[in-house]
Amino acid sequence: MRGKLVNKLVRTLLYVFISFYAIVSLYPMVWMIFNSFKNNREIFETNVFGIPKVLRLENYIKAVHSFNILRFFENSIIVAVCTVTVTLFLSLMFSYATARMKWKLATVSRIYVTAGMFIPVQIIMIPLVILARNLHISNSLLSLIIPYAAFELPFSSIVLYGFYRTIPNEIEEAATIDGANIYRVFFSIIMPLVKSAIASVLIFVFLFSWNEFYMALIIISNNNLMTLPLGLINFQGQFQTDWGAMAATMTIASLPTVIVYLFFSEQVEKALTVGSAVKG
Amino acid sequence: MNKNLSYKISVCVFTLPTLILFTVVVCNPILQTIYKSFFDWDGISAASFINIQNYVKLFHDSDFFTASNNGLIFAAFLVIYQTGLATIFAILFANKDLKGRKFFKSAYFIPVVLSVTVVSMLWLTVYNTDNGIINKVLKLMGSPYRQSWLSNMKTGIYAVAFVNAWQYMGIQMILIFAAIKSIPEHYYEAASIDGASSFQKHIHVTMPMLAETYKFCLVLAITGGLKAFENMYIMTQGGPGTATYTLTYLMYSAAFRSNQYGYACSAATILVVQCLVFTILVNRFVAREKIKY
Repeated sequence: MRGKLVNKLVRTLLYVFISFYAIVSLYPMVWMIFNSFKNNREIFETNVFGIPKVLRLENYIKAVHSFNILRFFENSIIVAVCTVTVTLFLSLMFSYATARMKWKLATVSRIYVTAGMFIPVQIIMIPLVILARNLHISNSLLSLIIPYAAFELPFSSIVLYGFYRTIPNEIEEAATIDGANIYRVFFSIIMPLVKSAIASVLIFVFLFSWNEFYMALIIISNNNLMTLPLGLINFQGQFQTDWGAMAATMTIASLPTVIVYLFFSEQVEKALTVGSAVKG
Repeated sequence: MNKNLSYKISVCVFTLPTLILFTVVVCNPILQTIYKSFFDWDGISAASFINIQNYVKLFHDSDFFTASNNGLIFAAFLVIYQTGLATIFAILFANKDLKGRKFFKSAYFIPVVLSVTVVSMLWLTVYNTDNGIINKVLKLMGSPYRQSWLSNMKTGIYAVAFVNAWQYMGIQMILIFAAIKSIPEHYYEAASIDGASSFQKHIHVTMPMLAETYKFCLVLAITGGLKAFENMYIMTQGGPGTATYTLTYLMYSAAFRSNQYGYACSAATILVVQCLVFTILVNRFVAREKIKY
């Protein structure tokens, strides 16, 4: 009897604890969304914490009209789509060759590239800026796409390598006996088999390139080329006293990744775990 | 013979683009940075070799010690907050009786997918002295205590570290959660037969089985702390004074504000050495043997 009571008490406390942290984790974002529909008086005085009473859209109109948010949005999409495409294409081929083709340097090449996962980006930044300058790509989004893709290669190669290894060897043998050449085997037989891995990598690289800030800050100086994370800090100064408009721009910037996560949370989590499990 | 050649060509087609891109954009710049750290260089004109003077200067720079110290504080904060909380949550959510665990898991992970800019700017408003919700909650609870969290010399670094810890705790939670899930059920059954309580089961079965995962999590948290930059760049600009400086900040302002590229390269090199030392230490002291099921 007493044991049951204690048990119940423990359970209740547990739920209080995890609910409390759910509030800590979610409320700042919810508050931001609330703020994006409020005016300053509501944010600062009349309705600090709660749901907005009227849905004011003027903050969103301001974000779109007075500031360049659509431009930044467009840049972010271009960078994300190109980075994902390049990374996927290259790492699909590379990890296929390291996982399933027989050649002398397969293991060495794989370790060489996957070691990149543990390299702090700081150590490459200065030469990279000079490199972008020398290649005359400083003034185009390529100066972001190329380093993003290069930096995501280790991760996506690790994930794809793991998946390729699970496919039985007989598949290629059967196909080669039928006379298909290696490119056909790769594109029409192997690729469809690793679809779920492709989805994981795609989502993960998308999230990375959408949110990346440090490289963008150092490489991009032209206002028209800024991606959202970089463009947003410009608003910080201009919007300092207009929290509603700032919240609206932040909400717009966050929408794509939050939606992607809500729909594909399992792939995101799977990519994370596979990426961390294979080392060296 | 002909077939052999075409096989070799296809290996090249598959691997060379990746190897070249990786070498040009990642590997070569690393060597460049280390090489250039021995030069006096402004990024434009020719560099002149000055031996280890950049490093001598760095070790006499008081900002370097503030920065390294902050890196360690940041790292320690991340380890305690992220790895600690993540362990508790992962163990709780691995329990199938817990209702709504899927919701909670997602709720805890969502900050990870936000951009660091959004999160930093958001917490900037949360911390705001006059209108931030923290001080408003304190006021609501009748406390006269108010604090300018970020511009305080002592609390500044912790306030910034908290934001980073808060945002990325979910990553470690997912990693530890997945690792717990992969522990074979019969280990727990065996422990039950031996009469272990559920607390004992976690201490004696779960924890040792997670050693590999903890290694990864610790490296993630420690190097994440040492490398910290974005949060301070947006929230405090390294201030008040240089109170929230980190090595990456030092490198950034040396290179891109005062054009001391050579000096910045030496700061970057030391940062990587710090990360390397801690990675080796973690690998040395956590789980030296591989676990086999």
